[in-house]
Amino acid sequence: MPNLKEVRVRITSVNSTKQITSAMKMVSAAKLRKAQDAVTQMRPYAEKLQEILKGVSAGLDTSENVYGRNDKDENVLIITISSNRGLCGAFNSQVIKHVKHLIADDYKGKNVTILTFGKKAEEAFRKTDHFIKGTLLPRHTNEIFDDLTYDRTAEAASKIMGAFKAKQFDRVMLVYNSFKNAAVQIVKTEQFLPVLPPENDGSGVDADYIFEPNKNEIVGDLIPKSLKTQLFKALLDSTASEHGARMTAMHKATDNATDLIKELKLTYNKARQAAITKEILEIVGGAEALNG
Amino acid sequence: MTLEILSPEKLIFKGVAESIQLPGKDGSFGILENHAPIIATLKKGVVKVSNEGQETEFEIKGGVVEVVKNKVIVLSD
Repeated sequence: MPNLKEVRVRITSVNSTKQITSAMKMVSAAKLRKAQDAVTQMRPYAEKLQEILKGVSAGLDTSENVYGRNDKDENVLIITISSNRGLCGAFNSQVIKHVKHLIADDYKGKNVTILTFGKKAEEAFRKTDHFIKGTLLPRHTNEIFDDLTYDRTAEAASKIMGAFKAKQFDRVMLVYNSFKNAAVQIVKTEQFLPVLPPENDGSGVDADYIFEPNKNEIVGDLIPKSLKTQLFKALLDSTASEHGARMTAMHKATDNATDLIKELKLTYNKARQAAITKEILEIVGGAEALNG
Repeated sequence: MTLEILSPEKLIFKGVAESIQLPGKDGSFGILENHAPIIATLKKGVVKVSNEGQETEFEIKGGVVEVVKNKVIVLSD
């Protein structure tokens, strides 16, 4: 029979764990709402930008653009977006596993470099020989999550575009968790560079636009913007997923703690009763011995 | 005409305007009612919005503007 005191101590400890996990769940729920709001806020901008870009670039050969070049396919940069903090279920391991898979299969034999956003991915890849080298890529990428703003993202995106322009990389891929709902995250792989020509469904622009200064220059101006937006969107999406994943993980942890407490309480009460029974038996036995 | 100023982080302005002055890349220009459709890139500067004698100013770091059918959308960086 387990010791009464031991069980009591365990119940207390599981209880405090439960308090922590449920508090973390609440915090994540609040942060998730905020992150989702940010995604919704940027959507009109991103959609309009795509629409204009599509309209302007219709009939233009965008592959001539510096970001559209794809003559070699030797050096690949994989931008891995994870989180700075753990305790969020399979969120980080999912992305890391996917990137490892990409290196081993899809980009086998190619020169792969990895740029990480978030401590967890950095920890996973720091010791591999794929981890970022070169001076053109952004540094201190983990801090971007402390205050996720468009300006800071744009800065990092510009550096990545600069590295591409300097022909350090021939292809840049983006791997991140995309938000489906609070419980489900889907690992997404997107091509960041070279820029894929906007899908042309023939709609184009119907109105007779005046282009100021001219089509080519506008496209040249819009493509970097759309890339920055793409990275920003991926980061926001990943943040929302992170909080969703953590919320779910903490919810499960709280549930498990509740179950555990229930079980422990049962054990505790059984032990308590056994002790009482034993005591009564002893008293009765003692009294009988006296009477006898 | 209606005006919307969007940034990647939020909606900066949404409302009605009588005249809008924009910092075009090749020089400042104005938009009045029934302007022809135009797509123009903008540089760092101030967007001046006038409506009913009131003037509001928004600073932008660059961007792009689309005008079509009395609907003006400014995408600010």
